[in-house]
Amino acid sequence: MHGFRAFLGFFSFELRTRVRQPAMWLFFVVFAALGFGAMASDAVRIGGGVGQTAINAPFVIAQMLSIMSVLGILLVTAFASGAVVRDFEHDAYQLFYTKPIRVADYLLGRFAGGTFAAIVSLGGTAVGMAVGTMMPWVDAERLVAFSATPYLHTMVVLVAPNLMVMGAIFFSLATLTRRMMWAYVGVAGFLVLYVVSQAYIGDLDNDLVAALADPFGIGALQLETRYWTAAERNTDVVGLGGAMGLNRALWLLVGAGFMAFSIVRFKLQAPAVRSPRPTAAQDDPPPEVMVPVASRSFGPGTQLRQLMVQAKVELRGVVTGVAFLVLAVFSVINVYGSAHGMTNAMFGTPVYPVTQLMVRVVDQGMALFMLIVITFYAGELVWKERKIGLSEVTDAMPTANWVPLLAKLLAMWGSVLVLLGVGMMTAIAIQIIGGYTDLELALYAKGLFGVNLFDWALLCVLAIFFQVAVNNRNLGFGLMVAYFVVSAVLPALDFNHMLYRPNSAPSGPYSDMNGYGHFVSPMGWMRVYWAFFAMGLLLIANLVWARGTDARFALRLREARRRITGLNTMLLGFALLGFAAAGGWIFYNTNVLNDYKPSDASEDEQEQYERKYKQYEGLPHPQIIASDLNVDIYPEARRLEIGGRFTLRNRHDVEISEIHVRVDPVATVRALSLDDLGTLDHNDTALGYRIYRLTEPLAPNAELAVDFSFTFEEDGFPNSGSNREVVENGTFIHNDRYVPHFGYDPSLELAAPNERRERDLPERTRMAAVDDMDARMHTYISREATWIDFSATVSTSVDQVALAPGYLVREWTEGDRRYFRYEMDAPILNLYGFLSARYETVRDKWNDVAIEIYHHAPHGRNVATMIDSVKKSLDYYTANFSPYQHRQLRIVEFPRYASYAQSLPNIVPYSEAIGFIADLRDTDDIDYVFYVTAHEVAHQWWAHQVIGGNVQGSTLMSETLSQYSALMVMEKEYGRAKMKKFLRHELDKYLQGRSAELHRELPSMLVENQPYIHYNKGSLVMYALREYLGEEAVNRALAQYIRDVGFQEPPFTNSIEFVEAIRAETPDKYAYLIEDLFETITLYDNRVTQARARASADGKWEIELSLTLAKLRADDKGAESPIGMSDWIQVGAFDAQDRPLGLQMMHFEQDPDASESMTVTFTVDEEPVRAGIDPNVLLIDRNPDDNVRAVDSW
Amino acid sequence: MTVNKLVIRDLDKTYPGKVWALRGIDLDIPQGMFGLLGPNGAGKSSLMRTVATLQDPDHGTIRLEGDGDGIDVLREKDAVRRVLGYLPQGFGVYPHVDAVTLLDHFALLKGITQRGERKAVVEALLNRVNLWSHRRKKLGGYSGGMRQRFGIAQALLGHPKLIIVDEPTAGLDPQERSRFLNLLAEIGEQTVVVLSTHIVDDVADLCANMAIIAKGQVLQTGEPNDAIDALRGKTWRRTIDKAELAQFEEAHMVISTRLVAGRTVIHVFSDEVPDGFAPVDPDLEDVYFVTLKQAA
Repeated sequence: MHGFRAFLGFFSFELRTRVRQPAMWLFFVVFAALGFGAMASDAVRIGGGVGQTAINAPFVIAQMLSIMSVLGILLVTAFASGAVVRDFEHDAYQLFYTKPIRVADYLLGRFAGGTFAAIVSLGGTAVGMAVGTMMPWVDAERLVAFSATPYLHTMVVLVAPNLMVMGAIFFSLATLTRRMMWAYVGVAGFLVLYVVSQAYIGDLDNDLVAALADPFGIGALQLETRYWTAAERNTDVVGLGGAMGLNRALWLLVGAGFMAFSIVRFKLQAPAVRSPRPTAAQDDPPPEVMVPVASRSFGPGTQLRQLMVQAKVELRGVVTGVAFLVLAVFSVINVYGSAHGMTNAMFGTPVYPVTQLMVRVVDQGMALFMLIVITFYAGELVWKERKIGLSEVTDAMPTANWVPLLAKLLAMWGSVLVLLGVGMMTAIAIQIIGGYTDLELALYAKGLFGVNLFDWALLCVLAIFFQVAVNNRNLGFGLMVAYFVVSAVLPALDFNHMLYRPNSAPSGPYSDMNGYGHFVSPMGWMRVYWAFFAMGLLLIANLVWARGTDARFALRLREARRRITGLNTMLLGFALLGFAAAGGWIFYNTNVLNDYKPSDASEDEQEQYERKYKQYEGLPHPQIIASDLNVDIYPEARRLEIGGRFTLRNRHDVEISEIHVRVDPVATVRALSLDDLGTLDHNDTALGYRIYRLTEPLAPNAELAVDFSFTFEEDGFPNSGSNREVVENGTFIHNDRYVPHFGYDPSLELAAPNERRERDLPERTRMAAVDDMDARMHTYISREATWIDFSATVSTSVDQVALAPGYLVREWTEGDRRYFRYEMDAPILNLYGFLSARYETVRDKWNDVAIEIYHHAPHGRNVATMIDSVKKSLDYYTANFSPYQHRQLRIVEFPRYASYAQSLPNIVPYSEAIGFIADLRDTDDIDYVFYVTAHEVAHQWWAHQVIGGNVQGSTLMSETLSQYSALMVMEKEYGRAKMKKFLRHELDKYLQGRSAELHRELPSMLVENQPYIHYNKGSLVMYALREYLGEEAVNRALAQYIRDVGFQEPPFTNSIEFVEAIRAETPDKYAYLIEDLFETITLYDNRVTQARARASADGKWEIELSLTLAKLRADDKGAESPIGMSDWIQVGAFDAQDRPLGLQMMHFEQDPDASESMTVTFTVDEEPVRAGIDPNVLLIDRNPDDNVRAVDSW
Repeated sequence: MTVNKLVIRDLDKTYPGKVWALRGIDLDIPQGMFGLLGPNGAGKSSLMRTVATLQDPDHGTIRLEGDGDGIDVLREKDAVRRVLGYLPQGFGVYPHVDAVTLLDHFALLKGITQRGERKAVVEALLNRVNLWSHRRKKLGGYSGGMRQRFGIAQALLGHPKLIIVDEPTAGLDPQERSRFLNLLAEIGEQTVVVLSTHIVDDVADLCANMAIIAKGQVLQTGEPNDAIDALRGKTWRRTIDKAELAQFEEAHMVISTRLVAGRTVIHVFSDEVPDGFAPVDPDLEDVYFVTLKQAA
């Protein structure tokens, strides 16, 4: 039968069959649950609404559903490809292909039926999401009104085509090879290539290509919405006009092409027989042979030997299978892609492929494949005999249950080992090709084959247990998937304890400086715990192992009871005992020796702190004027004994009778006394808040000495959050934690607005207004002090060096302890830290400033660059701003548990992760070591000389000016061309940052510590200012500003004063810039619609640009309105070598409502290849790519 | 259309490794039951699959002659499938579907588009093969015999003119086998029915015409009775000791060896009466073994 009827017949039969089976509905429920979780909880994060973007914004819906459709390709392959391959798996093809059917009807009908079912299943996500948004506990303020349109739109535009196209591609593979295995292998490979290609295509230059190359339309979605503000995301759906429409058309064509190919190539024939069954010589009677009698044994020795042999056979079966080979190849590709991604740390500059990084690369790159291999092969192995019809033979053999069970487990462990080995080989190859030869094979062994292998081995046990227990292959897969989902979701639901999350263990970050450090103990114990668990699972699996033809659960239970032997009970008891003992020891460590707090408990504490003590916020409090500390670091024991004297002075004009002290609750307070004048009135040990009443009130200007002595020592190991600051090698502590603090600190309150709403806390102002005089009495660094006299005696073990701000006055050894005395000769901010480790020291000098780099011995690669940067920075800053106030500058490495660099007074701690392993051999890359060093040195001016009050905009003077300073030093060193690339990154980060804003965006001078404004926008603002005003003018303003406010006493400066300093050097014609750059949020949307050039008579070239200009002001929610302009904007061109031509400022006037295009002409000396407006992107443009165009001939 | 004859000419098929599966097959198969007899590996299934359009030969032609132009089986596969009923050897079914649903689907594929008609046909066939009481059971739960009956039902859909049954009675108990053969006998009136089997009795019981095929070649064709007559007077039997078998095999052309109540009884083929042997009426089995032995 032919024609549409036939197609319909196949389609409806397929659909009816599919609908009556559980798989489709099971997946519908799973997807619905995921969708529900994504909307109604924080447990599932698939993209998501951030900040002002609603949780159910059409943009978010589109994002989530399209990401889910990526998961859906496995489902559509199972349903659609399975619809045809089934005829071969069940040997039913002979009944179908001898009927008068047409290939097209058959393939299309089955394909349509399967794909439709997959789309319906995936549609469960949309249903779950919609239901999720209606739940009463979802924050209504973060929702937009319900509408079915975005869901339908996404299903039609994104999900359905994705499934159809990907379904068609793998359908080809499956139907032409007639094996599902090839389709699944194709899916796995495709996923790898997709992920890897996304990493490469992430370049800025290939946006449209990237958008078209993504078959799921996610790239197109991102391209079309790249600069959408929250307002647009909440209302608009992506139209089909641009990249999205092109992408859909392209890929639907591709899908149709594959389908057509399948139809053309498919033959309604029996599969080709590869080798015929040999015809035995039928006529010759078999020879008469006597079968000898062999001896047999059945003891445990035999069983063991059977086990080993069977394990080998099963392992060989897995590893030589084509699927495994292909999976291995794809995991190699993925490791390579992962290496590429993880070694490009900052601004696209690679780091050296050190082994500890490569271990993480392999882990990450292989993770997906391990999970696939383990889940899939557990099913394959357990069901192997039954699938080939051999089970009745093997089940009747005289072998114990545990022989095949353990053999299959060993085979799985073997496969995991093989895959890890392949991963390691790949990583080593990457290292060698990258010219890095310090292979540290022992570290590979520890990292991959120690810890990792163990985790995978446990997962294998779990997978096999599921398969054996439920005795249903698909259900076994489903349980593994459920396990993955649950283990991801539990911590998000505030169930954080390791003891009930299977296969969990605390993270043991590896640092070259500190190795695995003290994390080894909890890592080890957790694995012992889970090993006993696994043992128990195996014993149970052995008892319920399905053997024989009747495998119903009730019967297996009965059989299990019969199978229990003395040995079984003993082993089970042992496992249980071990599990309980290890669990008990772990519990003792995490809950008794330490405090276990689920993640919402710390938020509860913050709420309590605010509710109980905010009343004291306005209380007058004396301030620290001097700190003299004794810090004793015991690295091996990880103990810190810290104490000393704070001298406080009453700077208010009233008496003070109460001193509020905050002590870290984990500290052991050995002594805390206030000159013998304080009695302890209130001691909240849980929150660490103490109130002392002074027997004699403290008069104005009087001083009070506070002596303290604390010990910090972590007992055992906590569930999470183990102290990473006091370690065996690489201690780095700050004064924000380990010393007593005075007064109520509002920065400890809960910040997130939706958290506050949930707990009924009042709205909180993020920061005081820029002109708040009260707030300006403090710096934004500290409420407890302005400038302090600082000195400290630091001790550590005799083989380490201890460092603190200040000049080394004395160093001595006593027994096995080494002492260092540091003293500052001038007051510093109340911001200091202490470090201790075994360092290698490099010393240099700049004039009379001692430069010292303290680094972990093998990390000396980039030290020369750091020293170079320090010198050049000191050159520039002392020449253009003010003298350097110290006689030393030290850079000190600390472990990679945190990855930042920080500028303390005359000492710059620098993380292992961000500079010491950067690979700077390719000089085309941005040298971020140079940049970060210059930035941190600049902070010695912009923070340690000039410091803003505790108000909005103060980080403008510290972070933004440090960015500017570093930019100037970099430009001198690397030239303007490289600056362009850097600034382009900054622009992107700013634009992305503002669309992810949780609260509100602010103009630069009112910035509330928002990184995307004070770092990224700051770079752009200051660079533009430099271009317009000239470097000398800007530096003059800065130097004058330092003279005015450097080292000042309260009230501290604010951004208004800074902007005035700039205004003083701004010529009238650029006065509007101050408003644009600092006082408002201003952007442009300038576009060159056409660029033409012709040679002119005198050998020069005339260029005509057709432009549309727009200038926009944004409010704090991101809503933009056009304003008029009367601005100077640069125009220019580039020659074939990309060198700038004819850059000049031109004046542009436009009314706010004007939108017509305008033309300008200008002349250049050489032949232009590209031309445009604001070609160096000095102005913040919503879309800078359309500022410059290739030049056409005129 | 009426189909009178299936004509196979010069059919060749080799598999990789240069093994001849079919070599120069020439057959004329008229209406009625035609038995294709041969040992395992003779090429019967290859031939059946080729006729059933599942496989292409390397060389040769197959035509379905009837009133009108006839059908070139190899080139007009779709036309063949419209009149074909095929019961393969060792087929599978969808385990999660019940019999009536799958049979209805097959009926649709065979061109019975009217729902009412289809229902009636399906009902009738299921009754005919005695599966009506099991029609709602999932096919995965069918026994071997039941599955075989289902296979017949689907083969008979649409009153086919060419029916191919490949090893249909293997695995059936005697009762089922008898029932099946009766069913086949009823059909063979206006249809070409090719029964491919290695069970001689099936052919002997049912088939008006037969061919013996071994090692890819047709060894003999004709009516069974004629073939049996040709052997009359040349078949002999004797009861012997097991140990003597080798001797007799050397001295005579031993057609068959079987055990009767524990004793070894041999049939031999000879123009003259051999010593110590008694004459025996030849049957088709003797024809079969003689043909095979002579070809070897």
